[in-house]
Amino acid sequence: MTGPMILLDSLRKTYGHFVAVAGLSLRVEGGECFGLLGPNGAGKTTTINMIAGLLMPTAGTVHIAGTSLTAHPRQAKINLGLVPQDFAVYPALSARDNLVFFGRLYGLWGRALATRIRYALDIVRLADRAEVPVSTYSNGMKRRLNLAIGLLHDPAVLILDEPTVGVDAHSRHAIVSSLKDLIESGKTLLYCTHHLWEAEALCSRVAIMDLGRVIALDTPRQLIREHGTGLIRVEFELPVNESLLRALEGFGAVCQASSRLAGFQFQSSEPNTALEKVLKLADEWSTGVRSAQLLEPTLETVFLNLTGRSVRD
Amino acid sequence: MTRQIAAIALKEFSILIKDLEALALLFAMPVFFILVMSFALEGVFEAGTADRPIEILVVNQDAGRMAGVITDDIASVEGLKITRNIDGAPLTRDLAERLVKERSWPAALLFKPGFSESVARYATSVEADAPHVSLIMDPATNRQLLAPVQAAVTAMVERRVMTARQIHQIQNRISEFGKDLSEYLNAEEDLAAGRHAPGVSLEILAPEGATAVLRPSATEQNVPAYTIFGVFFIVLPLAAGFMREKHEGTFQRILAAPISRATLLVGKLLPYYLVNLLQIGLMFTVGVVLFHIRIGQLPALILVSLALAACANGLGLMVAALGRTEAQIGALGVFFAVVLSALGGMMVPTFVMPEVMETLSRFTPHAWALSGYHDVMLRGLGPADVLKETVILLAFAAFFFLMALWRFRFAD
Repeated sequence: MTGPMILLDSLRKTYGHFVAVAGLSLRVEGGECFGLLGPNGAGKTTTINMIAGLLMPTAGTVHIAGTSLTAHPRQAKINLGLVPQDFAVYPALSARDNLVFFGRLYGLWGRALATRIRYALDIVRLADRAEVPVSTYSNGMKRRLNLAIGLLHDPAVLILDEPTVGVDAHSRHAIVSSLKDLIESGKTLLYCTHHLWEAEALCSRVAIMDLGRVIALDTPRQLIREHGTGLIRVEFELPVNESLLRALEGFGAVCQASSRLAGFQFQSSEPNTALEKVLKLADEWSTGVRSAQLLEPTLETVFLNLTGRSVRD
Repeated sequence: MTRQIAAIALKEFSILIKDLEALALLFAMPVFFILVMSFALEGVFEAGTADRPIEILVVNQDAGRMAGVITDDIASVEGLKITRNIDGAPLTRDLAERLVKERSWPAALLFKPGFSESVARYATSVEADAPHVSLIMDPATNRQLLAPVQAAVTAMVERRVMTARQIHQIQNRISEFGKDLSEYLNAEEDLAAGRHAPGVSLEILAPEGATAVLRPSATEQNVPAYTIFGVFFIVLPLAAGFMREKHEGTFQRILAAPISRATLLVGKLLPYYLVNLLQIGLMFTVGVVLFHIRIGQLPALILVSLALAACANGLGLMVAALGRTEAQIGALGVFFAVVLSALGGMMVPTFVMPEVMETLSRFTPHAWALSGYHDVMLRGLGPADVLKETVILLAFAAFFFLMALWRFRFAD
């Protein structure tokens, strides 16, 4: 279809006086992987719940593949697949039984269901463990099954809420690899994550939310160009005391440091100059430098610049 | 090691007190149980005492004096209370039967016309039939509790009969003074033979319209009560299942599919409803196969069972909606399953409870379900007769479901 796959118009959700989402308008095009980033409490999950039809908006509208979620929820939901942050599977059942159950909720039966289960299991690389109870799975396998359930009914739009949280590196790469395949196949993804490198790797555009509003929306490259700053990571041989910390803050925004720790990192719009000054400062304070890294601007630094917080805060 | 034990105990205690509602229920539940059972059992231990007499109706159709005299005798027995008049008018048989059928009184004593004559005949002739007295009682009434009534009636009638007979014997001896001693001895043998025969024929009747057996077995009393008791234990797995799905996020995932909340609830409840019906079927099958109980009209039994299962499911959903933690659900589930069962007469019949408890029992679905089952099994009534109980049970179910829907959240 032509036109946006997800269209949010002035979407708002309030709880009494608390505004969780404040008039959000977004447009996600078909075949796009759209990242939704923000610190905890930014309103991401509330937004996702409203898009998935789990929460009634206080105001505004949601359209999925051109269908109004409020007016035609059943039709709109058929085009949606949800991969929630919770495992949301039945541990006592096998992966196949879980898939059979969720497939039937979407009207899949018989051969069509068997075909889709085979496809979903292949995508997440769980075909060889499909008959085993999910309670025996590792967290990574459960996450992969979570993804398989979300795409089982071949939805036009897949909403992913932290699909890689709490998994080992191997499973994370397996999931990211599966998602890349889905993007290549033309699936529309709304991707919510704390792992900003994943968003950079997968998303064609990202929106950064804070306090219920979108504070930046663009391609990751453009956001980094506009808001990114260099990140310097330094580790001294001696712990950083209060006086040294104040001196360091003169060179840029110190992100992580404590008097107990010798390591810290800070941002600077002129990282090369700042690094030189830090090394000189270390010399003056008679402390050796164990390691020093000059990191490229990333979405992480964009995030810090825009929200003043780390994405995990 | 002691410090480690103390640390673990403190940690456990701090977790426990975080869920104050669950903790409070742990204390409240046994207290309620003790109160309910103590009040309820008070009737069993005190029934038939001066403080808590067994009340019976007396219908006197006897034109002579004897029925009235015997009624006075019975009224003098401690632990029995006689009611002869209602609204100032002597009781009729029809009214007495209706009052017993409505379970307003447990039994009615009926002296039929000609009772005095039958006592006189029996006193003067060992060949005459024993005087006849009818006891109209609700088939569902615990017969052990009415044993003192039967004993008192029998004793009082026999006493009067024996007194009349002794007077008659003495009169005979005086009038035949001087007769041969052997004849006197023969007369003594006659009297001795007469003493072996019962002094009264006590007939147990069901009230008009109740066609069931008059002597329900212990199993016929217990099967419905314990079936209801068991059915309400579905509350625990049902509420825990709902809580688990809520915590694990599967409800949210299901609701992201094109499915309504009502569909989800019906689909989720259906297995529990069927398990309840299977439970009921199994319990009654065991009763029929092993203990040969009579279950009355099957359609009526099914009607009550369908409403009962709906009630238990509704209660389970309400517990799931009210409990915020697994501990709360466990405590609430046991509270409703056990305490309401006790209050509803599953362990002690409601008619032996004090009046206030008996009134309270009417606010439990258990009491109405038991009443429905007793109507079918013991009173031999049909579907039309158990409509009242069925409708009340469905009203309870509707109340539980509405409460649940008001409070229930599909996500934490």
